[in-house]
Amino acid sequence: MYEPDDELEAELRRLAADREPVPAELVQAALDAFGWRDIDAELAELVYDSLVDADEASLVRGPPGQRFVSFAVGGLTIDVEVTSAGPGRSVMGQIAPPQRATVDIRGPQDTVTIEADELGRFQSGPIPPGPASLRLRPPPGGDGPPIVTDWISL
Amino acid sequence: MLVSPDDTGLLVRSAAGGDEAAWRGLVTRFSGLVWAVARAHRLANADAADVYQTTWLRLAEHIGRIEHPDRVGAWLATAARRECLQSLRSAAKASPTDDMDRLDITPAVGNPTEEAVLDAETEREDAARAAAMWRAFGQLSGRCRELLRILMATPPPSYAEVAAALELPLGSIGPTRARCLQRLREEMAGISGGLSPSS
Repeated sequence: MYEPDDELEAELRRLAADREPVPAELVQAALDAFGWRDIDAELAELVYDSLVDADEASLVRGPPGQRFVSFAVGGLTIDVEVTSAGPGRSVMGQIAPPQRATVDIRGPQDTVTIEADELGRFQSGPIPPGPASLRLRPPPGGDGPPIVTDWISL
Repeated sequence: MLVSPDDTGLLVRSAAGGDEAAWRGLVTRFSGLVWAVARAHRLANADAADVYQTTWLRLAEHIGRIEHPDRVGAWLATAARRECLQSLRSAAKASPTDDMDRLDITPAVGNPTEEAVLDAETEREDAARAAAMWRAFGQLSGRCRELLRILMATPPPSYAEVAAALELPLGSIGPTRARCLQRLREEMAGISGGLSPSS
């Protein structure tokens, strides 16, 4: 059966493929993403993001350039404040219950490693914008599996 | 390439088991959809790239925890949508660019052909039609552009994936698509008739 809408849609599809194709380097990045899996780690899922979840009416989204995100797994939460200054980002975090940990801030290109103190607090220097995920490792002599957070775009 | 829903579920389960070829299959199947979601939300190029990359990284970490492996396309569309909203609301980022308007001034040019003059003529007509269609698409309402841009993904997404990408009721996709394609025809008729206001 002749379907003019289907034909027009197919024509649009060819046009989009021609004018706005998926950049080849992004397809490669998607393929590479598989290598970032940490199958031994527990996943702390994103449970709150002030940019998405803040109630429009309550105006608790905070000042511009500041974003609050929370991750949780089991009884553990990781609260992170992301600050934007121009193109740079920095993160300040709190692990609860408080505990020491080595914190890897993972990006597609680089990993920055910082330490959380005995109160579970950690703070980074400037890091580039883009996809990021935290990996928490027990301190030397510590026990337990590493924890990775959901990827977010900083 | 057409993959049945069952095959998609199999790809997810195989990838969860560490099968890299299965992951490649998922990227092949859904790369266009994730990109279309980012384009539909009219993000600047760098932000669209971040959304695309973050969405795939997130799936990689979740691959063994997907509740409905056969619906991973909708999962990706939802994740990409959420990233888009985050990106749009991030005050630190530049406002979305109007890529369509920029592209309006770039007419499609057919490749030189060694075929007969008749073929060259046909090619010019095709290029002119493509340019008119792209321009007409850019003049549609935001809602129509969003919906059609998702539908324009290669390979074609399912209506369930489109609905997930735009948080629309599944039942509204068909009727809205028909209305928006009709609007596109009208815009194109206006452009070829020279009735469109010059920009």
